[in-house]
Amino acid sequence: MPDEPDNETVRRADGVFSALGIGAAVLGAVALVAVVLAALIWTGHRSDVEERAYQTTVLQAAAKWTDVLINMNSGTVAQSMQTLHDGTVGQLNANFEQAVEPFSQVVQKLQSQTVGQVESVSIEALHHSAPGDAGLAKPQQPELATVSTRTDTALVVATSVSQNAGANPLTVHWTLRLGISDVDGKLLVSSLETIR
Amino acid sequence: MRLGLFSRNGLRVLAIDLLAPIAAIAALVYVGIALTWPLWWVSVCSVLCLLIVQGVVVNGVLFRRDGVTVGTDDDGPGLRLAVVGVAAAALVAAVVVGYLNWTVPDRAVDRDSEQDRGIASSAAEASATFSPQSPTASRDRVVALMTPRGADGYRNEFDSMAKDLASKNLSVSASTVSAGVEAIGPTDAVVAVIMRGTQNAPGKPPVVVALPLRVALTKDGDRWLVDGLSPINSR
Repeated sequence: MPDEPDNETVRRADGVFSALGIGAAVLGAVALVAVVLAALIWTGHRSDVEERAYQTTVLQAAAKWTDVLINMNSGTVAQSMQTLHDGTVGQLNANFEQAVEPFSQVVQKLQSQTVGQVESVSIEALHHSAPGDAGLAKPQQPELATVSTRTDTALVVATSVSQNAGANPLTVHWTLRLGISDVDGKLLVSSLETIR
Repeated sequence: MRLGLFSRNGLRVLAIDLLAPIAAIAALVYVGIALTWPLWWVSVCSVLCLLIVQGVVVNGVLFRRDGVTVGTDDDGPGLRLAVVGVAAAALVAAVVVGYLNWTVPDRAVDRDSEQDRGIASSAAEASATFSPQSPTASRDRVVALMTPRGADGYRNEFDSMAKDLASKNLSVSASTVSAGVEAIGPTDAVVAVIMRGTQNAPGKPPVVVALPLRVALTKDGDRWLVDGLSPINSR
């Protein structure tokens, strides 16, 4: 690389810029703004894609948990209850027996063979709580906020058919609102409400 | 020519000779990602990137020969302007393509899903409402929200149901408890609406049941219309 004094450089270094130089500087500024905008568009899109991917995993978690609930058989009730309990967090975990006991009691009492199917699962985007509707009000769980980064509500509609020996098949329609909380990357059910 | 990193020439080499071609190539790749690499863009992008790389190589060779680059050549401000112009044009194109292919559809999905759940909720509530005093009022409300094809099917279903309800003098009403979008695309959507339906029969206490309904919607121009309504757990 030659290290000679450059007359052109010296001439231009006096602060006088040509019109073309100013044009290049303006275009450079435009390019810089474009880089910032492109980065913003990219990050905005990425966060949207990640949000949708997260919502899909929430739906999968809700469907999986409900699938165990609606397929409880008298022979596997203890194992199913354990799986369901392990998939919960917060108040639902603490009061699990109370919340899910009625379901398991029915299964054990009927000695039935149940086959259930999830019909619809979606992220709740609109909710009207009827006045005086204590059963549907979202329970406040301040302790959940300390362990979970976010909670989404999934709507699950399912149907199960119980076959009892010597009786007509019993069809049960399930309409559930499940609170799905992210606890250290693991999706757990934090609330269970039946819409009746 | 002095070429220290923070000297005037050093900054010009960095900006014009290095960053400008890198930015242009990055912008072309960005456009490719935004367009999800259609074959024609793979071809165009390859050619343009090759030209840019060639330009960088020629610039390097001329620097070795003349000791001056596009960025530092005070006798070539026009070429410098062209290089910055091409890089800026590529970056602006990347912003425009990114905006049109990512930001606009992302916003449209958010806006559409908000509209859809409102329309689906209204249509579902109206479809689960019947009063013997004004038997066609709720039907007309639903039909106003439907596509012509969906409306034809709905009218037939409604008429047979209305006859049955009217003969028993039953009135039913429903209010949305929850709604969620099951699936959404640019022109179609499916929304699950869960309502609480109340059935009133003369001389009997009202019966309240959960009514889950699946509402299929389709986009007609700028407007979302209901294409069909069906109970979710019909078994």
